[in-house]
Amino acid sequence: MLIKRTERQARRTALAAALGNQAASGIDRRAFLRRSGLAAGSLAAIGALPLAGVRKAEAAAAMAGAGGGVTVKKNICTHCSVGCTVLGEVQNGVWVGQEPGWDSPISRGSHCAKGAATRELVHGDRRLRYPMKMVNGQWQRINWDTAVTEIAAKMEAIRTKNGPDSLYWLGSAKQTNEGAYWFRKFAAFMGTNNVDHQARICHSTTVAGVANTWGYGAMTNSYNDIRNSKTMIIMGGNPAEAHPVSLQHVLTGKELNKANMIVIDPRMTRTAAHATEYVRIRSGTDIPVIWGILWHVFKNGWEDKEFIAQRVYGMDDIRKEVEKYNPQEVERIAGVPPAQLERVAKLFATEKPATLIWCMGATQHTVGTANVRAFCVALLATGNVGKFGTGANIFRGHTNVQGATDLGLDIVTTPLYYGLATPAWRHWSRVWEVEYDWLAARFDTIKGADGKDVKMMETAGIPSTRWFDATLLPKDQVTQKDGLKAMIVFGHGGNTVTRMPKAAEGIEKLDLLVVADPHPTTWAVLSERKNDTYLLPVCTSYEAEGSRTSSNRSIQWGEQIVKPIFESKDDLEIMYLLAQKLGFADRMFKNVKVKNNLPDAEDVLREINRGGFSTGYCGQSPERLKLHMANQGDFDLVTLKASSGPCKGDTYGLPWPCWGTPEIKHPGTHTLYNTHLHVKEGGGTFRARFGVEREGKTLLAEGSYSVGSEIKDGYPEFNYGVLKKLGWDKDLTPAELATIQRIGGANPDGVSWAIDLSGGIQRVCLEHGVMHYGNGKARANAFGLPDAIPTHREPIYTPRPDLVAKYPTLPNARQFRMPNVGFDVQKAAVDKGIAKEFPLILTSGRLVEYEGGGEETRSNKWLAELQQDMFVEINPSDAADRGIKDGAWVWVFGAENNSKARVKALVTERVGKGVTWMPFHFAGWFQGVDQRGKYPKGTDPVVLGESVNALTTYGFDPVTGMQEPKATLCQVKAA
Amino acid sequence: MARMKFLCDADRCIECNACVTACKNEHEVPWGINRRRVVTINDGKPGERSVSMACMHCTDAPCAAVCPVKCFYTTADGVVLHSKDLCIGCGYCFYACPFGAPQYPKVGNFGSRGKMDKCTFCAGGPEADSSKAEYDKYGSNRLAEGKLPLCAEMCSTKSLLAGDGDVIAQIYKERVAKRGYGSGAWGWKTAYKETIAS
Amino acid sequence: MTMLLALGRSAIAALALAVLASIAVPASAQQPTQVNPTASSVKEDQLFRQMTRIDGRISIPDAKEGVLIQPAGQSWRQFHEVTLPWIGAIAILGMLALLVIFYLTRGMVRIERGRSGRTIMRFNAFERFVHWLTATCFIVLAISGLNITFGRQILMPILGPNGFASWSQYAKYAHNYLSFPFTLGVVLILLMWIAWALPNRTDVEWLKQGGGLVGNKHPPAARFNAGQKIMFWLVVLGGAAAAISGYLLMFPFYATDVEGMQTAQMVHGIVAVIFVAVMLAHIYIGTIGMEGAFESMGTGDVDLNWAKQHHPIWVEQEMAQSRGASQGAPAE
Repeated sequence: MLIKRTERQARRTALAAALGNQAASGIDRRAFLRRSGLAAGSLAAIGALPLAGVRKAEAAAAMAGAGGGVTVKKNICTHCSVGCTVLGEVQNGVWVGQEPGWDSPISRGSHCAKGAATRELVHGDRRLRYPMKMVNGQWQRINWDTAVTEIAAKMEAIRTKNGPDSLYWLGSAKQTNEGAYWFRKFAAFMGTNNVDHQARICHSTTVAGVANTWGYGAMTNSYNDIRNSKTMIIMGGNPAEAHPVSLQHVLTGKELNKANMIVIDPRMTRTAAHATEYVRIRSGTDIPVIWGILWHVFKNGWEDKEFIAQRVYGMDDIRKEVEKYNPQEVERIAGVPPAQLERVAKLFATEKPATLIWCMGATQHTVGTANVRAFCVALLATGNVGKFGTGANIFRGHTNVQGATDLGLDIVTTPLYYGLATPAWRHWSRVWEVEYDWLAARFDTIKGADGKDVKMMETAGIPSTRWFDATLLPKDQVTQKDGLKAMIVFGHGGNTVTRMPKAAEGIEKLDLLVVADPHPTTWAVLSERKNDTYLLPVCTSYEAEGSRTSSNRSIQWGEQIVKPIFESKDDLEIMYLLAQKLGFADRMFKNVKVKNNLPDAEDVLREINRGGFSTGYCGQSPERLKLHMANQGDFDLVTLKASSGPCKGDTYGLPWPCWGTPEIKHPGTHTLYNTHLHVKEGGGTFRARFGVEREGKTLLAEGSYSVGSEIKDGYPEFNYGVLKKLGWDKDLTPAELATIQRIGGANPDGVSWAIDLSGGIQRVCLEHGVMHYGNGKARANAFGLPDAIPTHREPIYTPRPDLVAKYPTLPNARQFRMPNVGFDVQKAAVDKGIAKEFPLILTSGRLVEYEGGGEETRSNKWLAELQQDMFVEINPSDAADRGIKDGAWVWVFGAENNSKARVKALVTERVGKGVTWMPFHFAGWFQGVDQRGKYPKGTDPVVLGESVNALTTYGFDPVTGMQEPKATLCQVKAA
Repeated sequence: MARMKFLCDADRCIECNACVTACKNEHEVPWGINRRRVVTINDGKPGERSVSMACMHCTDAPCAAVCPVKCFYTTADGVVLHSKDLCIGCGYCFYACPFGAPQYPKVGNFGSRGKMDKCTFCAGGPEADSSKAEYDKYGSNRLAEGKLPLCAEMCSTKSLLAGDGDVIAQIYKERVAKRGYGSGAWGWKTAYKETIAS
Repeated sequence: MTMLLALGRSAIAALALAVLASIAVPASAQQPTQVNPTASSVKEDQLFRQMTRIDGRISIPDAKEGVLIQPAGQSWRQFHEVTLPWIGAIAILGMLALLVIFYLTRGMVRIERGRSGRTIMRFNAFERFVHWLTATCFIVLAISGLNITFGRQILMPILGPNGFASWSQYAKYAHNYLSFPFTLGVVLILLMWIAWALPNRTDVEWLKQGGGLVGNKHPPAARFNAGQKIMFWLVVLGGAAAAISGYLLMFPFYATDVEGMQTAQMVHGIVAVIFVAVMLAHIYIGTIGMEGAFESMGTGDVDLNWAKQHHPIWVEQEMAQSRGASQGAPAE
């Protein structure tokens, strides 16, 4: 037998004893239980245990000798929107180890495959190391100064020749709040609203649908709050793979409450495997299913009548629509058996609190906004909003997709949803301390079709789903001075947008392509470009400081773990360097300290705070956020509230809205629209955003108000004038009043709560227990939207052409500067019998190992090993019909563009007969051709594969320009 | 005396593979070596369950019993470790292991096996605790630092439990009692000749 | 027997899984199903009542990793720890005992008429080379192979853990590398001698008479007597079995799964120990068991009297051939 060192023996025995006898050496039993994840209630109270220290002393001494100690840095996982805490152990500037962040109330030490492998990102085996430029089809290394100088010159040339709208600014949900905000500001300074990011293709329809229902476009509750739910419906989402750590809350809630967990999805997902009920539907039939549920709710009187009367507008219009969707019709459209739907309806409406969780299965459709609206209506009808355990729990995608959306990487608004109208730009001019006229002059004004001037500054831009249409379409079809000539891509995959063959054509036509990313991405290899292409290495958020907003609106501050590796730079630094070359750096960075070309992220956040009153991004100062990160252990697992410590009373991460200035210490809002709490405690009402009255019916709440409100009924939003009428203006401090008067000029009464830079109106309203944004009704009837009452519309490429006559897609229309010809495409598909030639439904989704376009995760060897081939899931009976064996190569043919993809077959019953499913993270093969050689040397991801979006087809949501990758058609043949 | 064990609560496991990559991250395990893996049974069908599996550190370990060179040993904590200095890469432990734990790097000649590698319960090997030699051969030694295996610590749903067998059995029992169901402590009967009544 | 069991196992497992799935799934595969965790939970015990191992899907492209639990490892362990050593010990020690007894009772088989002084060539240089190539390899393979099964009881106490591990490592390399020339040798043996090794009527008589080892008769034999033919086939078939099972072990999982590997090891182990036992007999008869026998593989020339005693028909044939040759007449 082996002889062990005696010292080791001794130590082991001590450990064994410690575990057995609760002696407190190394690890005690309570710490152990905590680590084992047993504790929900009792053990959560133990608080922070000093666990991180042991290794510092021992490992450092043992492993590195005299190299300096190990320090622990706290950041947030850069993958999904759950916001798991990442603890990085750093030694000599190298990230040497990762430890669980036990104290985070969101993740409690947990990670998924991506988070647990995230250190590899900073290993950087396959990262882009230095700026590169393509010269006659060859990649050449260049230095930063050359890169920035050349790029700025080319931008300026295009701006002068083709107009500012010919430059497209594609930002990222992986940027920090500060980076995203500054990117939007940069686009504004460059004079365009053509600025977008991944939210377009993930939850743009959610934001539009939800905001149009009750005021704000975000998850109403939180991951943690799902622990309170008695019934949860997960529809069009697979959080077990997309948001694994959220399942910790979902499954614990399910277990402790014996809750109903209902999964409604075309695919039997890993999430569905844990459901108490799984409902298989046909892709793209969400509205009929929801209306089918409501049909039973209304028929049996299960709706929450009081809630509807007090807080909902237009439910009767819904009833009329819902009547059309009787159980037989729903079965005909969606294939759901009537009895099952009735069972689900009963659980959802009667076993409360109930929550509805959705993801891209619902949003990525031509009817995405209508889907979301239907979900909201279902929640409103059953009174499942504005309480703990209820709500629209929208699981956002990327780590900071919520924050990047909030901060305006969006073609329809300036930061924080102020919109694009003159008052919005005036507001931001004040915050940025630039003259409005100077800013306005940066934008184009063109002649519209009617001969009138169109101010591009106030015109929504081109959605990222269609940038290549704006490049390829004839100039006269694109409502701007000229078509798109340049793409500036900061952290956005090229393979996540549908219709990739068109994108490849578009890339080739560009005059300038700049890809600023830790990896070259698909952009670099998809086309046959030869020149005018630049790759700039950007560091990951682990190498930068800054805040990020999780799906639940909590904002978490990340410390820089290590300095940017190789020659990569922080987003903010690159923007500073470009701004210098473009000549507006001083004007732009007026309020921000810049050290060694690196703008101070904290100052950027302070600027956001100063301008962020509309959405409650005003109270989260860097100091408060850092205090939260330092005292994570004080926050409760279920309520997210700190019951002790320096953050006592706060909700973790000060989830927005966190009203007023940081000084008034609003605790943040754990659940939106919760009238059961005082507004100073995070309570709220539905936002009175859509007027006060319509067709003789009030749009304000009736008899419902938040706890402690001095106004015991609905009320409109506040401005200084309203404040004066109520006599509350006396509560303003002289400084606040002075600011209001300065902003209002001749008309101070018109200064609203959102543009009052003093925060005075908000402060006073909160003191009086009222919500400054008003107390309105949520809209079941969202008048103004194309489908104010959601109604079923068949996908453009539907396997059921027989239903198109009754449920056609919306007529053609011009949207976002371009024509949307979905109706024609649908009609042509039906006429040509596409469904016969391409009989299988093609839908797409996520794998747990990869993220988004997958470039960084496929470059991570620890993750790449787990998914080495792009595949298509196909039902055993469809596979048998085609002579396809599990694991064999097949060709998948798309319904448009003669597209095809060579992938492996995964024969499984996860998908039903007639359905195929493909993950969307792969790229690097195109139409059967391996493009590995086109990556700059050493930067090719470990795993390459065909992109599903090479096969996906036309179709756009009319409200947001959302693409349709979730319901199209394909054919599969053995290769 | 504490007896270290693993327990995967299959009713919680969602095949997120965090355990797999946490292990790779902690020990810098090379491509092709999977000290831990997640297997899904009844894939896509009702009754689908995923189970995270690695070396279970068996009582009366079969690997140790069949090893021609006796390279295995059991620590005072019940962790089954082995010496790569002694291992000859014969592959017998893989045939005997009920859990498919032993892994072999493909080395040199005709893709044959190198020295066996497997889960160490984050407890290193025979070398000095937390020494570089130990890290290079077996990965880090968390147990010596008072920490538990990272796979379990990072488990997304707290499905995978690691630690004192009695404690984790208790945790599992309480869970099962509370929620009313449990598919069993996978592998316990085979590894420890015991089951957790549920 | 064990082999058959092993082969059957996977089929049964697949069947059981299918049965189980069909219990859980109501009629239609397309339509949704109620997933009730309290009712349909798949329990480990429940599964093991119906199948011998649990398999599943895994994303890494390595099929063997999809086996979740295979308690069959325990029975293989039993084989490896108990069955094989016993078979080995009985076969090898039994054979040694037998040979000792035989030697003591029968003694060396003499050339009855004494050496004639004239020799006749029995094996040419190439044949001898092939024989010794195979034989040398076999000896190394046998020792290194037996080391795996018996080394830790016999050698480890002597060499110590480190010494034994190093020795075993080299033994493993030798075992792996020498398998190639050994296999080549077996193939050559097959090709070289198969013409003389096909059974015929003479063999029946030879066997009836116990090959002359029992009693004092000398049954007629051609170049190879029935005993040698049996030895030939044992070498060829045993060699083939050892080689095939061995290569399955050496190139793990390329062609089979873990059960196949276990089966391969069992086949290899059993064939090997029997092979060793048989070879002991072969060595005995070629050396101290029979006067004049070793020369056939030593110098290649045997005494004519020896040849006439043991292979009269062959001597006839040889004589006839050389007479024919010296007369310059065609043999046929």
